[in-house]
Amino acid sequence: MTKSEYLTEYDGIVKIMQMYIDGSKQGKSELMRPAFHPDASFFGYAGEHLAIGTPFLFDWIDENGPASKIEPRVVSVDILGSIAVVRLEVAGWSGKLAGSDARMSDLFTLLKMPSGWTIIQKAFHWHA
Amino acid sequence: MPERNTPQKTLESWKQIAAYLDRSERTVRRWEESEGLPVHRREHEKQDTVFAFRHEIEAWSRLRTKSPSEISIDEGESLPPVKSAANAYLVEHDAITRTMHCYIAGGRAGDGDLMRPAFHPSATISGYCQGVEYSGSIEHVFKWVTENGPAPHINPRFARIEIIESIAVVHLEVQHWSGKLAGANARASDVFTLLKRNGEWKITHKLFHWHDQ
Repeated sequence: MTKSEYLTEYDGIVKIMQMYIDGSKQGKSELMRPAFHPDASFFGYAGEHLAIGTPFLFDWIDENGPASKIEPRVVSVDILGSIAVVRLEVAGWSGKLAGSDARMSDLFTLLKMPSGWTIIQKAFHWHA
Repeated sequence: MPERNTPQKTLESWKQIAAYLDRSERTVRRWEESEGLPVHRREHEKQDTVFAFRHEIEAWSRLRTKSPSEISIDEGESLPPVKSAANAYLVEHDAITRTMHCYIAGGRAGDGDLMRPAFHPSATISGYCQGVEYSGSIEHVFKWVTENGPAPHINPRFARIEIIESIAVVHLEVQHWSGKLAGANARASDVFTLLKRNGEWKITHKLFHWHDQ
């Protein structure tokens, strides 16, 4: 991969991640849905409960409502040809379900399709 | 947490597992480390409280007897077990590599059932191979591996293991894939996402990039 190709792929990935961040901030799953692959999966513990499946995520985002003070940071972006891994740290979560000033660590895996990059999985750890 | 199996179908200690395989405890511990012997751990109990399902041990044993040379693992992959729970990072790291070795052993032997214990029941697979997208249930992987047959020369390397409390990502580089479906001397880059569940690390997703030759 040449330097400019890398930057193109990197920017494509970050653009997809921004859709997730915008949806989280505004509490509107419709903003993040297009970033996810139709077969995307979602895994992690919400307390003792194992949360599985993107419908859980989208319902949670909508029910939680706006979280205007989230502070997202992209910790790493690794691109391996047609696949990529992004680690995102999000501090300052708030909302009906998130409570206040909560923190979440996310591992996103992405797949490059003919139409562009798409999130294929989100795994999260909620810092209690 | 409901029991996944009836008590009489499980072996409840290293001693029982060793007796079942007619080997020393030291040998079966080494097999877990280096050859993917399917051993499980209980949560919230003292370290090294293990159990095994007879049907999993039998499946593993059948394959090992069938082709011992093909399942043998490189020296570099056999790490001594970490005894001290004081080093929590190493305990988790080694638990993750054990899960990955179960996957590798299945790929090498060409037996999807052998790698099944490494995966969460709802795990999925995604990636492109020669322009065709594969997305869906992890059952596709088990089927592919079994159909592909033994790949005795695969040469896996851990390019990255990153652990965030209850989740982890593993980047595995595998060279020298061979078999009915893989062709000869193929290469795959795999990214696995794992979840720690009841004290065990399980793969929830396999994402792959197949390097077309």
